[in-house]
Amino acid sequence: MRGKLDGLIPGVVALGAFLVVGASPAKAQSVAEKAEICAGCHGQDGKPIDKTIPVIWGQQLGYIYIQLRDFKRGDRKNEIMQPIASSMEKDDMLAIAEYFSNKPWPDLGQPSASKEVSSRALSANRSVGCTGCHLDHFQGDRTVPRLAGMNRDYMTKTIADFRTRARGNNPGMSDLMLATAPDDLAALVEYLAGL
Amino acid sequence: MNRVSIVSAALFGLAGMLSGSVGAQEVKQDAKSMLGNAKVAPVTQQQLNAADKSTTNFLLTNGNYAQTRFHPAKKIGRENVKNLHVAWIFQTDVKESLETSPIVVDGVMFVTTSFSHVYALDAKTGAQLWHYGHKMGPITTYCCGPNNRGVQVLGDLVYLATLDAKLVALNAKTGAVVWQSDIADPELGYSETMAPTVIKDKVLIGTNGGEYGIRGFVKAYDAKTGKLLWTFDTIPQNSVGVWATKDATGRDMHRNIQAEKDQLAKTGDPYQKLGGGVWQNPAVDLATNRIYFVVGNPSPDLDGSARPGDNLYTDSLVALDLDTGKYVCHLQYIAHDVWDLDAVSPAVLVDVKDKNGKTIPGVLHAGKTGHIYVHDRKDCSLIRFSEAMVPQENMWVLPTKEGARMLPGANGGVEWSPIATDPSQELAFAINLHQPMTYHVENSPYPNGKLWLGGAFKVIPSETQSGNITAVNYNTGKIKWQVKTPEPMIGGILATAGGLVFTGEGNGKFAAYNSSNGKELWSFRAGAGVNAPPSSYMVGDKQYIVVGAGGNTQIDFHRGNNIIAFTLN
Repeated sequence: MRGKLDGLIPGVVALGAFLVVGASPAKAQSVAEKAEICAGCHGQDGKPIDKTIPVIWGQQLGYIYIQLRDFKRGDRKNEIMQPIASSMEKDDMLAIAEYFSNKPWPDLGQPSASKEVSSRALSANRSVGCTGCHLDHFQGDRTVPRLAGMNRDYMTKTIADFRTRARGNNPGMSDLMLATAPDDLAALVEYLAGL
Repeated sequence: MNRVSIVSAALFGLAGMLSGSVGAQEVKQDAKSMLGNAKVAPVTQQQLNAADKSTTNFLLTNGNYAQTRFHPAKKIGRENVKNLHVAWIFQTDVKESLETSPIVVDGVMFVTTSFSHVYALDAKTGAQLWHYGHKMGPITTYCCGPNNRGVQVLGDLVYLATLDAKLVALNAKTGAVVWQSDIADPELGYSETMAPTVIKDKVLIGTNGGEYGIRGFVKAYDAKTGKLLWTFDTIPQNSVGVWATKDATGRDMHRNIQAEKDQLAKTGDPYQKLGGGVWQNPAVDLATNRIYFVVGNPSPDLDGSARPGDNLYTDSLVALDLDTGKYVCHLQYIAHDVWDLDAVSPAVLVDVKDKNGKTIPGVLHAGKTGHIYVHDRKDCSLIRFSEAMVPQENMWVLPTKEGARMLPGANGGVEWSPIATDPSQELAFAINLHQPMTYHVENSPYPNGKLWLGGAFKVIPSETQSGNITAVNYNTGKIKWQVKTPEPMIGGILATAGGLVFTGEGNGKFAAYNSSNGKELWSFRAGAGVNAPPSSYMVGDKQYIVVGAGGNTQIDFHRGNNIIAFTLN
């Protein structure tokens, strides 16, 4: 996995330079042009090929912006995304975030969870209260991400990273994940992936 | 306030979730504005001052500046309430948590929805007169749902505070924006869900954000221009206090004072990120020109290790001078709270009996602890507290990593739900939650405006939850009557001169009760959670009761988008 990501870094560095150049009025790029490079990982059709990479098509605008901001600040660690975000100013981040938030959410074709798994997931939600922030049907709102239909493997990895605090830019989520039993979290992932 | 959506049996919620994403498309949070023409007369300050005597109108979020939620109309009474029927139903564009208090001005009603929409309606027919859909910024950081609890009108302006922390003045006739001011930066965790209180050309507004490491405040803006007049920080620069070891009821809170003092010496006063949101309207004492409000929890909610001291003025009743915003007095219910059992339900001004039986100006607050606290308005001091309205067990056990069970759960007792009063009976009416929970603690540094709970509150799935409606004699502290409900209650309650109280439940039931004994006299099934405070008003010689039925995010009650008005033939 790590080797695969490392292989992408030269392209990412090039993107960083690309975005900076693009900021000059003489060579202004459209947001769509700037966003083309994102397709390499996040998918031409919004479906990431690597299942541990998140769906960003149709994701909440504010959430995408906050993640880019946090990559730039170093609050969220990722060797691909940090160089990309470091070249961006707030307006660039908001523009990219708006661009992707207006794309349709892709259907990843993940199967619906079984009745038993759904029941367990909903019980966990009632206990710890995911929908208090992610809202009804797990659609999210602005800075809170949509979870319905998200990549299963990405959610599994993210939850694990929250629990170890390797994903450090939302300690409140780490607290909630640590307070929830691993089997319940696994059920939630299955349930959410299938929505 | 507790950010966690903690549900009870929630059969509706289960059904809703299983239905997939279809329902989500009905939210329409970005529905567009539609200007209109509402024939509404300007509201004068004199009208607002006398709102408690108006049978025609419902001018303030909680009925009047004293926030008694007692409406003087009595066309609908104990004898005829059984004949109450739907006058009209208005469906908003937004199918999401509904906490609005309908405001009525001479036959025109103003209601709000989640995501900061405002509708002006014909109060007789329910016809839409105009719609303001706030153009929300990309950043919102809010707790407990995208709620809005209402507007207030003064002159020909309607005042709204929005989820992206702006104060907006709308033309009452058309719904057009007249001015807009930034209240605070939503990227740092500030948001608005409360209704403003407008008094003597000032717009008063608090803030949410106690779950995000804000420094709370109440601000006053010029009602004509939107210019900031004063700010009161709910967290003073010296937030340490008196190292109180007992809560306001005298129970030991198991603080490790020495450890806190050591931490204070190491890291200093934590006032800058200490939370202290103000979720609900201040009450205004017109005689003394003071405002009274309650302040919410410290940040982070459950981890007290990084915030030594009493964490003033979190979990407190606070009084200020209206003209200057200067501190007058306070009383802290829970010092150094690590359970989020904070103060949210709005303060109410009524005359009360002091410890010697003398009638004096008082203040009531219904706590998440399940007590109604009775204060002396002169100095905020506590006169008495009521019997507990919900089971209390294991108080105050400290949160642990594995989770420590304690009752009440972190939603209360009484959440943000306003109480009602009937001074002729010396009664306060409160709706309560009973949700057994475990309290978990974790430690993490300030996360730059992100969720900062310092742990988690978890409903214990195997334990039964419930709710109740409780009438308390505030001059004795005794419970006069109590009606048990199958689910935890959140939303609010209204008392009327007809000898009734009206309140709703998460299962869609909306009912009228005899305010003297709690006997149920009428009920209606709304099809979505009735989790908003009811209002009453008159058009001609007809009295109406109106309430929102839109469910609730925080407790995950079944969503809807209905404003329902009831009347008699």
